Amino acid sequence: MADFFQLAINGFAIGGVYALAAMGFVIVYETTGVVNFAAGQFVMFGTFAGVAALVNAHLPWPIAYGVALLAMAAFGIAFFALVYRPLRASPAVTVIIGTVAVSIIMQNAALLTFGSWPVRLASPIEGMTVELGGAVISVHALMTVGMTALLVACLWVLLHRTSFGIGMRAVAQDVQAAKLMGLKVNRLLAMSWVLGALLAGAAGLLLGPMWFADVNMGDPVALKAFAATIIGGFGSLPGAVLGGIFVGLSEVLGASYISSAYKDLISFGIMIGFLFVRPQGLFGEKIQDRG
Amino acid sequence: MSIFRSSVLVICILAIGGSLSLVLPEYHLRLLNLAVISAVSVVGLNIAFGYTGLISLGHAAFVGLGAYVLAILTTRSGVSPWLAMPAAIAVAVVFAMVIGLPLLRLKGHYLALATLGLNVSFVIITSNWLDLTGGTNGISRIPPFEVLSYPLTSERGFLWLALLSLAIVVLLASFLHHSRYGRALIAVRDDELASEMTGLDTPRLKLLAFTLSAACAALAGCLFACHVRFISPEDFSYTNSITYLAMLIVGGESSIGGAILGAVLLTFLPEWLRFLGNAYLALFGILVFVVLVFLPSGIMGLRSFFRLPSRAPVAKPAEAKS
Repeated sequence: MADFFQLAINGFAIGGVYALAAMGFVIVYETTGVVNFAAGQFVMFGTFAGVAALVNAHLPWPIAYGVALLAMAAFGIAFFALVYRPLRASPAVTVIIGTVAVSIIMQNAALLTFGSWPVRLASPIEGMTVELGGAVISVHALMTVGMTALLVACLWVLLHRTSFGIGMRAVAQDVQAAKLMGLKVNRLLAMSWVLGALLAGAAGLLLGPMWFADVNMGDPVALKAFAATIIGGFGSLPGAVLGGIFVGLSEVLGASYISSAYKDLISFGIMIGFLFVRPQGLFGEKIQDRG
Repeated sequence: MSIFRSSVLVICILAIGGSLSLVLPEYHLRLLNLAVISAVSVVGLNIAFGYTGLISLGHAAFVGLGAYVLAILTTRSGVSPWLAMPAAIAVAVVFAMVIGLPLLRLKGHYLALATLGLNVSFVIITSNWLDLTGGTNGISRIPPFEVLSYPLTSERGFLWLALLSLAIVVLLASFLHHSRYGRALIAVRDDELASEMTGLDTPRLKLLAFTLSAACAALAGCLFACHVRFISPEDFSYTNSITYLAMLIVGGESSIGGAILGAVLLTFLPEWLRFLGNAYLALFGILVFVVLVFLPSGIMGLRSFFRLPSRAPVAKPAEAKS
């Protein structure tokens, strides 16, 4: 039982990371309609922004995390200007392949900058554990769960209680109408990329201490975030959270109770099953609207 | 007229490839072989993606399926590659039909993600099903094709076989393109609803395109297995699927010539840019992105710059899809 409890907390922690990555992906999709296949590399950039600030520049950790998130926000704006703007009038297929190409560019840019050797990104609360009912739980895992919950709450408040967030949701519903209402659509679209990059950056910073910081970490994260999005429902934020936690739990519990070799197959199997039976996911959009 | 043009294309392939096979050094022949094998696969992908508009990020899984069936049959049961090849293609065709039935109801990014999941699952299974696939160690000592008890182990001999296979695939693909089925596939890509209204059986047409593209992929896989004579799961990961798609887009989608051009170009490009070392892949990504933004119809799209307007302005229905 203690084992199960420990695994479940770890599953929630990694699931929280997937949930944040999936939320970043969904926010961008909802407002801009772009299926961002580079979403995993956003998370990888987040981790390496942390590596650059904490390990390479030796900044104290509160400043380092702030600098890393600031860098991610700047990256979001750069992505909006350099990738989204040139592609925005293209058909969906072109956008998908364009983001795949950008994903290759990002991964190799990181490889050229940081090298292929994995780096240890220590957590500020490295090595601290608590005992709960016989289970040894790392404080970082608990903090990840807490941070995910906090960020989900902040995002909810942002989107539903501020004029900025309401404007963003208006753009997501109908760009033309939002423009006619006098909203600064371009600025809101840019901000949705910033928000997506910030969520991915938070996911990357939390993920760094759990895995090694490796330039190839983007693809596995992206695949899990996609699985989470499909399971939760494309374009649904609560769905992304639930889907992410579900994928994290199925990965950790599946690895220890079913088969560690096939642990990834469990989440993809469920994702493909959802696509066949219920492509709109748990809370998803009506599939005939888009795609 | 158009059948005439594709026969000219086939004769060009055989003539250019054949004369290159006599002059190129061994190492470049090897690359050319890999390029021709990729071209077989990309011409297949063109049927699914170029004509019918099905975004498949899992094409490499079908290449891998063909390669693995051939490798297992030849190394385990000692079947000749000539007999294993039709079996491998048949397995891929049946698999594509079975998986295509539920899969092809999905559209756009749902289909892209589902095929991506399919490819990832294929690699996980082949890496872990040790008894059958040898896991990440792969399968080695795959026998070469034999012609009149003379094994095609030399690069030159194999190239002739590969060129012949490509020629056959190109002929079949252009017959399809100019048949009523080909026109129906393009109609499905341009407007699915409208083509359904005119009485086309769109699910069946999509399944046809998907299955044919899987058959070409499996053929490419068989050629790959007998050429390299060693296969492992990484040869068929989804990054390879992305490369196939990039070849098609750089060359020019929905054009057979473009598919071949893209396959040859992107196979040789890493060699020409070898001095860049690790930066090559970043440049590759930039190249694909730039082509997407500035040349949406690929290198083949450049033709319109050189061709004088001979008739009334040609309407381009392909550009109208959104």
